[in-house]
Amino acid sequence: MNSDSFVKTENLTRIYSSGAIKVVALDDVSLSLREGEFLGVAGPSGSGKSTLMNLLAGLDRPSSGIIKVQGKLISQLNKQELALYRRYQVGMIFQSFNLIWSYTAFENVAFPLLFAGVARAERNERAGRMLAEVGLGPRKDHRPAELSGGEQQRVAIARALVNQPRILLADEPTGNLDSGTSNQIVKTLSDLNRNQGLTVIMISHEEPLLAEYADEVIRLCDGKIVGREKMR
Amino acid sequence: MRISDYIEQSFCNLWKKKLRTFLTTFGVVIGIGALVSMFAFGQGIQRNITDQFNKVDLFNYINISARNRTGEPAFSPDPDDPDAGEMGGAAAPVDADDRDAPRLDAQFIEEARKIEGVEAAFPEMRFPAQICLGDKEQFTLAQVLPADILRSGPVPLRAGRCYEPREPNELILTDSLLRRLGVNEPSTALGREIEVATLTLDFSLTNLLRMAFSRDGQGLPFARQSYRFTIVGVADRLPFGGMSDVYVQPEAAGAMRKLSLTSIWEFFRPAGETASYSAVTVRVRSPKYVAPVKKELESRGLRTFALMDQLEEMRTGFLIMDMFLIAVGMIGITVASLGIVNTMVMSILERYREIGIMKAVGATDSDVQRIFLFEAGMIGLLGGLFGLVLGWGVSQVINEVVNALMARQAAPRMEYFHFSWWLCLGAVAFSILVSLLAGVYPTLRAARVDPVVALRHD
Repeated sequence: MNSDSFVKTENLTRIYSSGAIKVVALDDVSLSLREGEFLGVAGPSGSGKSTLMNLLAGLDRPSSGIIKVQGKLISQLNKQELALYRRYQVGMIFQSFNLIWSYTAFENVAFPLLFAGVARAERNERAGRMLAEVGLGPRKDHRPAELSGGEQQRVAIARALVNQPRILLADEPTGNLDSGTSNQIVKTLSDLNRNQGLTVIMISHEEPLLAEYADEVIRLCDGKIVGREKMR
Repeated sequence: MRISDYIEQSFCNLWKKKLRTFLTTFGVVIGIGALVSMFAFGQGIQRNITDQFNKVDLFNYINISARNRTGEPAFSPDPDDPDAGEMGGAAAPVDADDRDAPRLDAQFIEEARKIEGVEAAFPEMRFPAQICLGDKEQFTLAQVLPADILRSGPVPLRAGRCYEPREPNELILTDSLLRRLGVNEPSTALGREIEVATLTLDFSLTNLLRMAFSRDGQGLPFARQSYRFTIVGVADRLPFGGMSDVYVQPEAAGAMRKLSLTSIWEFFRPAGETASYSAVTVRVRSPKYVAPVKKELESRGLRTFALMDQLEEMRTGFLIMDMFLIAVGMIGITVASLGIVNTMVMSILERYREIGIMKAVGATDSDVQRIFLFEAGMIGLLGGLFGLVLGWGVSQVINEVVNALMARQAAPRMEYFHFSWWLCLGAVAFSILVSLLAGVYPTLRAARVDPVVALRHD
């Protein structure tokens, strides 16, 4: 495996068109990540950060350009293959956590395993272990409404990683959290990155956080990369 | 995703919205309940009729009627009857055949009995009679039926026994008539004397004189004769096409002066000619003899009728009845399926974000569609099962009420609804199928949800 381009985009462009109006959300973005890298993506709102994230997650398709993950052309996959890519190769966490409100923490974490066709006993075992890893073992039967923001985001992290993906995509994971909790969450991501070699791509507009934990930070503005900074 | 997981998921999701699930399912319950009871009613009626026919083996009977003969008043119920109209040359042989047709008399009955497969032949004779028991009187039709035919079981006995050929004064009547005569317990009537009065045309001089001078309007040339009989048996009245209320033996009937209903012309026959019947019934050993015996009789120029021939027609009739009942039942199902569509669309709108999450964690479009289809199917399954229970319960109540009402008229107990195992299975399967069909459009919408839009935070 070519470790220099674990995740790679070339001339990635996404244009939304509604009627006659065309909005260029992402414009000719090329980037490359090694396995085990922690990439920070900064930029003001509307700069195309989330669009980049959705494309990398296989939730959306580029208008032009390519995405390659582990040497595989993600931009060429059909719907079914994209679903499998999302299931096994990437995990995602969000600003608003996106937990299922009516499920317990445990059920939320076990949810992706349903689609993977994992048997119940193994589901329970794996979900329980993931929750314990993020420090929520004792709160597994609580519903999201009974958990703090930080705890909810931990549940989301556990859910994102339960299928053992190699890449974690975090879309403003600290946007709804206070600074102390934000720090803890990003620290958790950083630990996963360092200890388990998980490749992390995190969007944030809190630059001090990115500066502290990311290996490299790219800056987006109006859909273009306007800056690149190696942190370490 | 595993089937067991789909089932569990759908059940959990429906359970979370108990009221909505209950209301939607209840719609299906009513629809299926109505459909099932309608269908069971159709089946019940059909079964009762065919069973009844089989029980009295009506399919073994052939009815023979004589064609009109020269010298008798021209009367034909059938406008196409060649005997009634002008004859064309081509049909002339038939006409000639007719003239050769045997008279339906005692000699014919002897001959008919000799035909291969024929078990018995007896005249079809009914006559009006006034039945008197104690101080009660009832007017009814008496049927002449030989003892051996009666014993072969066309009329089920409720009490007592068949009459004996040696005892022409023995008689059997129905439970229904007995009630009208004021006797509620059939066994108490056994052995009692009963009076049967008949009417005859009386053109005797004394009667004509009496008529001429009567002031009370008794201007008809009728005479009344009374005969005494002993009740030896009480029969169940046949619920369908019941024959008559009183059965007497040919020996007794022969001795009675009566006005035959089926052969009123009999009374105009010239003196000296032997008695003939308007119709003769032949009983064959088994239904397979019906066709050959019919053919044989028809070759002798007789008109025959067998219920067997009507069976196909009856089946078509039943089919039409079933169709009608199903059409009525389908109204409920249609309304219920619209309810399912509505519920599913609502549910999918509510769980829009959840669908986005499913897709984000790796659900394929078909995974999403199946999750919702299983929910629709679950509504169908529950609706079908409870609908079946409701339909069955309601039919039982109706059955009891109708039977209670019918019992007053001495009709035997009947099951008006018939729930066959395939009706039960079919109803549940149909309910699931309809629900799945109702779920197709909403679930397709769910499958097409764009996760990017669904997950966009507000």
